[in-house]
Amino acid sequence: MSELAQARGAVRLEATNHEGSLLGKNVSPQKFEAGKDAGFAFADILFAIDLNNEIVFGDAFPEWRGNLYDIQMIPDMSTLVEWKPGLDSVIGDYWLKDGTPVPICPRNLVRKLVASLADNGYAATVAVEIEATLFEESIQEARARGYRDLTPLGGSTGATYHLARSKDWVDYMEAVVERLDSVGIAWEAWTDEAAPGQTELNLAPTDPVRLGDSWARTRQVMREVAFERGHTVSFMAKPTAGFGQGAHINVSLQSDGVNRFFAEDGPSELMRHAVGGLIATMEGNTSIALPQITSYRRLVDLTGPPTTVSWGVNNKTTAVRAITGHSKYSRLEYRLPGADVNPYLALAGVLAGVLAGIERRIEPPEQVTDMAWCLPESAGVRRIPDTMSKAGAALDADPLLREYLGDEFVDFWVASRRWEWMEFHTKGGDPFVELSAWESQRYFEFP
Amino acid sequence: MTESTTIEAPDVRFDATRVAIEDDATPLVRLIGRTLSRASGPGRPAEDLTAGLAGTVAIRSHDTPQTATVTLGAGVVEVTSGVFVEPDATLVVDLHARFAPTQEPAGDADLAARVLRALRPPLPHWRDAAVRFWEMTRDIAGIPDVLLVEAAGPDGIERGRFGEGTTTYQIAGPADLLAGVFSGADDFLASLAEGLRVQGTLSQLSVMTAASWKVRFDV
Repeated sequence: MSELAQARGAVRLEATNHEGSLLGKNVSPQKFEAGKDAGFAFADILFAIDLNNEIVFGDAFPEWRGNLYDIQMIPDMSTLVEWKPGLDSVIGDYWLKDGTPVPICPRNLVRKLVASLADNGYAATVAVEIEATLFEESIQEARARGYRDLTPLGGSTGATYHLARSKDWVDYMEAVVERLDSVGIAWEAWTDEAAPGQTELNLAPTDPVRLGDSWARTRQVMREVAFERGHTVSFMAKPTAGFGQGAHINVSLQSDGVNRFFAEDGPSELMRHAVGGLIATMEGNTSIALPQITSYRRLVDLTGPPTTVSWGVNNKTTAVRAITGHSKYSRLEYRLPGADVNPYLALAGVLAGVLAGIERRIEPPEQVTDMAWCLPESAGVRRIPDTMSKAGAALDADPLLREYLGDEFVDFWVASRRWEWMEFHTKGGDPFVELSAWESQRYFEFP
Repeated sequence: MTESTTIEAPDVRFDATRVAIEDDATPLVRLIGRTLSRASGPGRPAEDLTAGLAGTVAIRSHDTPQTATVTLGAGVVEVTSGVFVEPDATLVVDLHARFAPTQEPAGDADLAARVLRALRPPLPHWRDAAVRFWEMTRDIAGIPDVLLVEAAGPDGIERGRFGEGTTTYQIAGPADLLAGVFSGADDFLASLAEGLRVQGTLSQLSVMTAASWKVRFDV
């Protein structure tokens, strides 16, 4: 703990539940010292609250959940940073009283899969491209407007890579990366993205747990900087009826410091098997990668997101792009997740697919060398599930994801998405408009 | 939410009618499809929904954007989400009051009346509904073994016990409300605010929600 926080400040305990935003508590330095080894009590209900503060029903609770039992959040002291003067922050995992991880804790899921990869002799390196949209209005103004009809920061002209964005937009991003530097989050690039007000911020490759931490914290930083400047930022899959936003994950596997996805003549055998696993689990993983109702509104051909269960070498119209031919940069870009995904669960889904592929030596289908959008049925390439209910059914029926993510997580997640689907349809959502007010209210600020 | 007495509207059945809903249907489509399908129970007064009638009826929720289209043809009733054709009749209904119309039907009055009657069948006795509810939901993970029911009717409290085993769940309330919940006409969670009382764990409440969705929406 920094001396300043110890003297008069606080420590913020952070972790995500099944949604993607950081949840936690601010505790005094004394409380932190007293509890940092044994953990801090949180009600298990945090894994059963939807984004409208309703309790999620529809499944049998596992043994560790009862009539609002407590679970322990134990800080991972390697994540302790000075967030700002007077406030330290630390990320933790959720554990049961018997010392076993909460099976549906997203960060623990990633840790489990990283360990499984290590058992296979590999370490994963992952990176993410975070897309977000900035608006001129303050969050209070955005709320007053129901998050509609907001003004894109930096102008209304949609363009990509423009360096001529107005100073308000540039200042915001410069402030963001300054904050990232100050809390030790390694970033590689930021740029103007396709939609008005939109940015893409790339975090540097690292191990999966650290990337999940950095990704979740980056969202927090981007929100805090927006609040400080009287602006608004949203990671909603489609914050406006126009453009959507994603979160591409790049992954490679190393052993003995060597990138094992590299081969001189294209994908290595290991990369091929990883692709095979990612393709085999893609329909089920869609439920995790596209977690909210709005996530599915992005799945429109020719607009950027993948719409088919497909892969290809250097083919950005597919769902899995293989970058090959370079000993350092050979990797897979998993293009399915939306910007609204839970970072840890997105990574867990990718690692589960990769693990399934390499352990079972799953050969991928033929790569798509044509444009992977708008393919006719005769092409033999399946479409990505385009509704929450279809994706949930696919996950429910996926034996690989059940094995690697665990039945408890899959049952929990499927039930939570069925609840979300039911809430949307029966409490004000409208599937027949581009973006309903119900979605803006529910998803604009969180996750 | 519910009415205090069982609906006395004439029943509609479809001895020769098949009810079809679209793939990946919305809850409303599922509710309509399920309600129409179950209107073909034995012993009901015969009035085939499609006999001599054809056309489309739009069903609109009075307080949410939920919409569906019921298309009546020769021996087939199709239910789809949304309203994408000019309907022959339109019903605006309260989905938390067993399809009670909230305004006068528009368009073809006979068609509208026929569909409305089919959507508002008389409720079964709570005991019959409970038997069916318990049978339909046996395969849901975590469902209690035994359902205990206390129904408050005009003649006092009636009790029922359904199933055998060690885990129990108790539901109590007005007989009409219980009949609505067990038959799927009423929403289980919403019924808790209407006088339904339950005894069991939070997990069992969650499972019972799944059970009620199974009966109400077939999900």
